[in-house]
Amino acid sequence: MSEKEVERRDPTELQDVFTGESMDLRPGSDDCYKCSTCDTECPVAEVDDDFPGPKFQGPEQWRLKRKDDHDIDDSVMSCSNCMRCDNVCPSEVPLSQMHNTARGEYVESQMSKLSREYIRNRILSNYGRLAPLAARFPRLTNFVMGLSVTKFVNEKVMGITGEREFPEFATETFTDWWTKRGGANVQNEEKRVAYFHGDYSNYNTPEVAKAMVRVFESFGYEIVVPEQRCSGTPMFANGMMDDARRAAKFNIETFAALVEQGYDVICSCTSCSMALRQEYPELYSFDGTAKVAANTFEALEYLRIHEDLEGELADSSVPESEFGELAYHAPCHARNQGLDGQAVELLSALDGTDPVDVGDSCSGISGTYGWKSEKYDTSMKIGEEMFEHMEDVENETGMTECPTCAMQMNHGTGYEIRHPLEVLDSALVDA
Amino acid sequence: MAIDAEVLVVGGGSTGTGIARDLAMRGVDVTLVEKGNLTHGTTGRMHGLLHSGGRYAVSDQASATECIEENRILRDIASHCVEMTGGQFVQLEGDDDDYFEEKLRGCRECGIPAEVLTAKEAREQEPYLTEDVKRAIAVPDGAIDPFRLCVANAADAEIHGARIETHAEVTDVLVDGTDVVGVEVRHESGPGKRNHAKSGTTEKIRAEYVVNASGAWAGQLGEMAGVDIEVRPSKGVMVVMNCRQVDTVVNHCRPKGDADIIVPHETTAILGTTDEEVDDPENYPEEEWEVDMMIDELSKLVPILRDSRTIRSFWGVRPLYEPPGTGTTDPTDITRDFFLLDHEERDDLTGLTSIVGGKFTTYRAMAEQISDHVCEQLGVRGRCRTADEPLPGSDDFTVLRDYMDDFGIRSPIGRRSVQRLGSRADEVLMTDGPNPVLCECEAVTRAEIGDAIDQSGTDLNAVRIRTRASMGNCQGGICCHRMANELHPKHDEPTVRDALDELFQERWKGERHALWGEQLSQAALNYALHATTMNRDAPDEDAIDFAAFDGGQHGD
Amino acid sequence: MAIEDDVVVVGGGLAGMATALSAAQDGSRVRLLSHKESTLRFASGLIDVLGYVGSEIVSNPFETISQLPDEHPYRRVGEDGIRDGLALIDSVTDYAGGHTDRNALVPTFGGTVKPTARYPKHTAPGLASDERDALLVGFETVVDFDAPLAAEHLAETVPFDVRGITLQFLGDFRTDARVTRLAHALDENERIEVGGRGSVSESVPARIALAERVKPHLGDAERVGFPAILGEEHPDEVRATIGRKLGVEVFEIPMGTPSLPGMRLEAEFETALREAGVRTTTGNPVVDFEGTDEISAVIVERNSARIPFHGEQFVLATGGLVGKGIDSDRSGVREPVFDCHVPAPENRYDWFEDGAFDDHRFARFGVRVDDELRPLDSAGSPEFHNLRAVGGVLGGYDFAAEKSGSGISLATGVVAGRNASDEVNL
Repeated sequence: MSEKEVERRDPTELQDVFTGESMDLRPGSDDCYKCSTCDTECPVAEVDDDFPGPKFQGPEQWRLKRKDDHDIDDSVMSCSNCMRCDNVCPSEVPLSQMHNTARGEYVESQMSKLSREYIRNRILSNYGRLAPLAARFPRLTNFVMGLSVTKFVNEKVMGITGEREFPEFATETFTDWWTKRGGANVQNEEKRVAYFHGDYSNYNTPEVAKAMVRVFESFGYEIVVPEQRCSGTPMFANGMMDDARRAAKFNIETFAALVEQGYDVICSCTSCSMALRQEYPELYSFDGTAKVAANTFEALEYLRIHEDLEGELADSSVPESEFGELAYHAPCHARNQGLDGQAVELLSALDGTDPVDVGDSCSGISGTYGWKSEKYDTSMKIGEEMFEHMEDVENETGMTECPTCAMQMNHGTGYEIRHPLEVLDSALVDA
Repeated sequence: MAIDAEVLVVGGGSTGTGIARDLAMRGVDVTLVEKGNLTHGTTGRMHGLLHSGGRYAVSDQASATECIEENRILRDIASHCVEMTGGQFVQLEGDDDDYFEEKLRGCRECGIPAEVLTAKEAREQEPYLTEDVKRAIAVPDGAIDPFRLCVANAADAEIHGARIETHAEVTDVLVDGTDVVGVEVRHESGPGKRNHAKSGTTEKIRAEYVVNASGAWAGQLGEMAGVDIEVRPSKGVMVVMNCRQVDTVVNHCRPKGDADIIVPHETTAILGTTDEEVDDPENYPEEEWEVDMMIDELSKLVPILRDSRTIRSFWGVRPLYEPPGTGTTDPTDITRDFFLLDHEERDDLTGLTSIVGGKFTTYRAMAEQISDHVCEQLGVRGRCRTADEPLPGSDDFTVLRDYMDDFGIRSPIGRRSVQRLGSRADEVLMTDGPNPVLCECEAVTRAEIGDAIDQSGTDLNAVRIRTRASMGNCQGGICCHRMANELHPKHDEPTVRDALDELFQERWKGERHALWGEQLSQAALNYALHATTMNRDAPDEDAIDFAAFDGGQHGD
Repeated sequence: MAIEDDVVVVGGGLAGMATALSAAQDGSRVRLLSHKESTLRFASGLIDVLGYVGSEIVSNPFETISQLPDEHPYRRVGEDGIRDGLALIDSVTDYAGGHTDRNALVPTFGGTVKPTARYPKHTAPGLASDERDALLVGFETVVDFDAPLAAEHLAETVPFDVRGITLQFLGDFRTDARVTRLAHALDENERIEVGGRGSVSESVPARIALAERVKPHLGDAERVGFPAILGEEHPDEVRATIGRKLGVEVFEIPMGTPSLPGMRLEAEFETALREAGVRTTTGNPVVDFEGTDEISAVIVERNSARIPFHGEQFVLATGGLVGKGIDSDRSGVREPVFDCHVPAPENRYDWFEDGAFDDHRFARFGVRVDDELRPLDSAGSPEFHNLRAVGGVLGGYDFAAEKSGSGISLATGVVAGRNASDEVNL
């Protein structure tokens, strides 16, 4: 934990002086001392021997590079971007940054733009662009997506697995609800937060976003919900760096202006907060990038730092029939921000629920990864350990902060999956 | 008296192996002896620069011209040892304008392609250059692997019938009256490939003609023959960075000075250097200030160097020479030119010629001149062919391979292996059994280690210089023992252990000069792994009283 | 104050976990702050207490402590501290060795034997101080361990016959499959395609396939040793199945890095910590603290946001040079969290010796402590009233040469955790 390590490598050091693009990550290999800890924590390497692990993909591959070398090993496409390697590396090697950049290079220069894989990945990673259309006709979309013929076409033509049920689109999006409601109910110059809801809680699980709003307002926060784009997580994971860059630029400009006015940025999805906090500053140097990163928080984390959340919860309760024993899975991206222990720790104080951590394995879905036909089996193998531990929990309810982990948990066990904010909502607002 | 060889060459550096190859190709029966590994002396301790000549374009235009000519030849005949990185002479704000102009003019006068880059162009090419760059001159400098080059020269000499003996130290020069008739050598493990298990022997090797190509050691050999050779050894430090901060050779464009060059070398960047006269080419102080100076000075050119990881440092000794009576005091003023000392002309001693001074880049031309001279003495009428025939590994070869399909290895590993092996790649990498990577830092597979062992016997340092295994950031902590494992079962366990210890100690020797920050952490990890998990530092295992220890509870 | 506990432990390696467990068992509310995975993943998983003093091998560590220099951490915690540390490991794991005060001798993957005080039961049947004949099995792609070479070296010293063979691992795993992949295949007992008679291939459960591959080589061996890759989650079952099929006992030779025994040990500790109610926060570094003579909070930096963790007592367990609890640059050596004094020669060329295994000064870098395990400043006074230091961050001993790393982590951890907790409960 030297000073050098604590201050993550200054991103400008790793960016081309003229284009601002990240360009050369070889110096990132300086921190690797070959302990292989990253490999031991990689959920893909554990089940897929085609994947040589994060150490190879990151510091080794980069260190071996010469400027004119452009062949990135294709195995980088098997990385699910769970970023657990970042979380465990004892030496601050910028592993996921190396993977993201290598994947971007691979997609850019070695993958055919006409290939089925490229088109499929582009569609999957640009879910946020397609969702508004679907959300306009949610019932029709849900009907069509549920048809076996659609699944057949997806599987055969697109390479999207037919094993999974597409997430249902809500009949009313969160932003529609917010507008209809007339925006914020609380005005407070002292306590103001800007909500980065992300696409998923907008289109598919608006109840999570609504819970966030109610809980924060119950603590007296003024909330603003600015126009925003996808955080970029699925784009990084698929090497769609141009798409990601555009989305990130928009988000950074939007939220930097709000931070400037005294707002903190709150996310209810841990992959979104991950992107704003870590991936943006690692990959971009737009004005305000660092400011947004330093002022972004996950919702529970924020309340925990600024309010006596534990005390409030100790004096509250939730209906045991609805919550009870909850099989909690910490998303890898939450783990990466140091948030993996927080939900269980906090909610343990609450009557009517008993969260049980189902262990530190990866759910295996990693956003778009588990949707790809060729990755589906790997995804389910990775998830096996989590499913087993979930089955050990008495109730058939699970809990997690990440929408795609929730999909996988539901897919693997049939459990209903809740978000911690919904529990807080029930404890602190409904009562 | 029986003659063992027509010509005996002393010294397995670039000059010696170059001469051996040249003569062997002309049909001469050559034996080369080297006290250590190939490249043991100065050749293995240089920064790997293939000069464009730009460096000498002001001070020594004859050398500069020769450099650019040889630079072109080596790109052809040693393509798998050369990486044409290009080079820059960088002028910083505050550096002398006149010198810059003089350098540019000098390059053009010597036929060195030179182009002025604006600050922006220079930094576009090398983004880590400081913002203080004023402008730069682009020249065709390159990087060259001296190990691979010497090994290839020696291998080709052997193909042409030469005998190459490493670990064969000359203990005496045999003189019959005023005629040198051979040398006596001590083979560390008998003649042939090195084998730690074999004990040493001595051998008298008789030859019609002896060539003293022992570089900085030339004076010592001369002494054995009773002649005086005024070598002025001068040491220089080189600091090895963990990765390449630059992809072109970066020179500071100013009149001669210490710490003015960064050479991208394989996976690393090498900072150099100093110029300090020493008494003994083998025993001289290796000092902290020299390392610090490289980092402090060169981070003015490339600021990221200041906080970058250094993995080791090494020192080389230049075999400088000046004719008696020149009287230069500052070693940086001593000429880099080479001298052919025919001891018959000079000392009335026949059968011996020494070669001193000179530069690595022009080794081939030097070897050619010496070989011409020797052939003249012997009455051999062979023509030099070393400028035309590629070295083994440097035949026409395309690196566009599907490494996974062809060799079963990942593309970055395949790319690096093929860069090292050149046209020998198929021969070495096409194997039946599993071919795992043994050295992860440098991407060296079992097949490549095996090939190097075939060439080197039990000498793992010789394997190292052929493959770069153990030369990456862990400095062998993770792979030394894996390399040693490959010697077994062909060699028995005590031999393997000796070979491993020797490599491990050699790695430590250089790593000591980089022990702070990340590399100290690495050293502590290496130490823990080898001393704790493997207990390799265990003292006297034979004395253990097993009965005094816990025998477990089985069967209770 | 939003996040508050009694005892805050900084560092989640063996020493930190032992401290947290000991303080929690003593009744305190404990927060364990851990930045990254610990060095347990590099280490053998053995619990070495004291294997050598100087060049003398130690058979009974307890009788030997008095020979250690005064600044040695064992002199601070004494024999009782060591026994308490071992009692903790015995309560957390089912390691063997607790039946005697004597060290056992365990074969290493380097072919030597090493004295150790506690060893996983997966290693127990392999003791070199046991006289049964052994066969060592290595795999072509597990490149650190050359079984025939290790056996040849062992055979020169140990009181039994030992042979080694190298086999191809099962099925068509890729050459660069990670050891965790191989372990996983055995954990799950995946079905492996093996060449059957003629050209027909058949699929066999991995453990059975492995045993069948080894069986023809068994000879007179009464036990068979593998590199420690026999499962991560279910090593008991893996070892039992292979042993049953082979008809002899199976043992593991500790490997690392990476180390599956280290990972298993870590998992066992995590369970114990959870059961003891220790509140663990991972993934971010402690970069700063509040307070002057007394620490009131440590600051965790989370993607550039600063989050305070308050407490009454603090314990520093960030590790040594390898664990990065001790840092250095060209000009000096320091402890980066609290900036505690780390004695070191001014000139960095005095930090090491010329031989790789010589008595290096750097190996003993770390903070010096008083009898309460409080770090001392350069004048010999405690840096803070309520800060203790444990494990690798301590100086004055060379764990690699002594083979004492885990023992010191456990002993100092248990003592510091208990003392910190006692002060809270005063």
